[in-house]
Amino acid sequence: MSEEIDTQAFQYRGGRTESREDFILQLQDLILDSSDIHDFLTDMATIIASRLSHSGNQISCGITVIRHKRPTTVAASDSRAGSLDELQNSFGDGPCLTALRRETEVYVPDLEMEHRWRKYTVAAHAANVGSVLAVPMRLQASAQAVAILYSPTKQALSSHDIDAAESLTTMAAKALDLALNIAQLRAARDDLAAALKSRTVIDTAIGAIMAQNRCSRDAAFQILVKTSSHRNIKLREVAASIVSSVSGEREFPTTYDE
Amino acid sequence: MIIDGAPGNQQPAFEPDPRRLAAAQFQRANLTVPELWTYYCGIGGSADELVLDAYLNEMMELPPLQVDLLHTAIKEITADGT
Repeated sequence: MSEEIDTQAFQYRGGRTESREDFILQLQDLILDSSDIHDFLTDMATIIASRLSHSGNQISCGITVIRHKRPTTVAASDSRAGSLDELQNSFGDGPCLTALRRETEVYVPDLEMEHRWRKYTVAAHAANVGSVLAVPMRLQASAQAVAILYSPTKQALSSHDIDAAESLTTMAAKALDLALNIAQLRAARDDLAAALKSRTVIDTAIGAIMAQNRCSRDAAFQILVKTSSHRNIKLREVAASIVSSVSGEREFPTTYDE
Repeated sequence: MIIDGAPGNQQPAFEPDPRRLAAAQFQRANLTVPELWTYYCGIGGSADELVLDAYLNEMMELPPLQVDLLHTAIKEITADGT
């Protein structure tokens, strides 16, 4: 990347100058600090909103993430954007979902003149929204995301503002990709740790059943599975009670604990 | 499936394939295959992820014990509401 691009600054009408680098640093801090995706998205939306707002034009930002086989996550810089995003998802239609489907940005300069998404525009109008811009975020992860900007005034965004919004969301998309990857890896790791723990208890119980019944491992497993389904108790809990009836131990530490 | 009474077609028509049942429950549980496999492995299952996937797509059979464990895994995850 050339020096020129690195130090290129966004100039806003409010007179505030902030560089691209600042934004990237803020995003990196967010990835490192946030404990979950929702916190991360909320902070990111807040930063984007404050960067695009200037005096006389207070912008709210909402971000919706749709992941494979996961509930949709919605985060917003304030409650107005949050409730409008939720509303749109419940209607199943709106500028944000249209932007997602078409993979292109959707700008509505004047909501009163908009005839698509009737239910949505009525709700947005009631929430005192004049114009809306939805920008899809391109992700590598198996997820889709869109950022949406709300302004109380009509014709609120100039083409310059739209360019600025697009370039912010392009950078934000990379950060989101990273955060989603980390969250997915963390969840898989937690699942594996839980599985190792549960399997230790179950294998120990199988050994105990084999010794008591003088049977094969498979036969012992069948006994355990049958007991679990007859009593409607989880396999792991049946196993734990067998182990504790033999040795008196209820919990035993596994080497996989960190 | 066309049932023409020809010899060799041993599947009774109204006995549902347990694999199809498992696949339907798996779909409803909104899980990924790796998530299901991890849980199944945690309760003592020994088939690998690919075999599990093949079973759910009716392309492979599993030993009876592994079938029981897989069904137990799906049942327990669904009961958790995760």
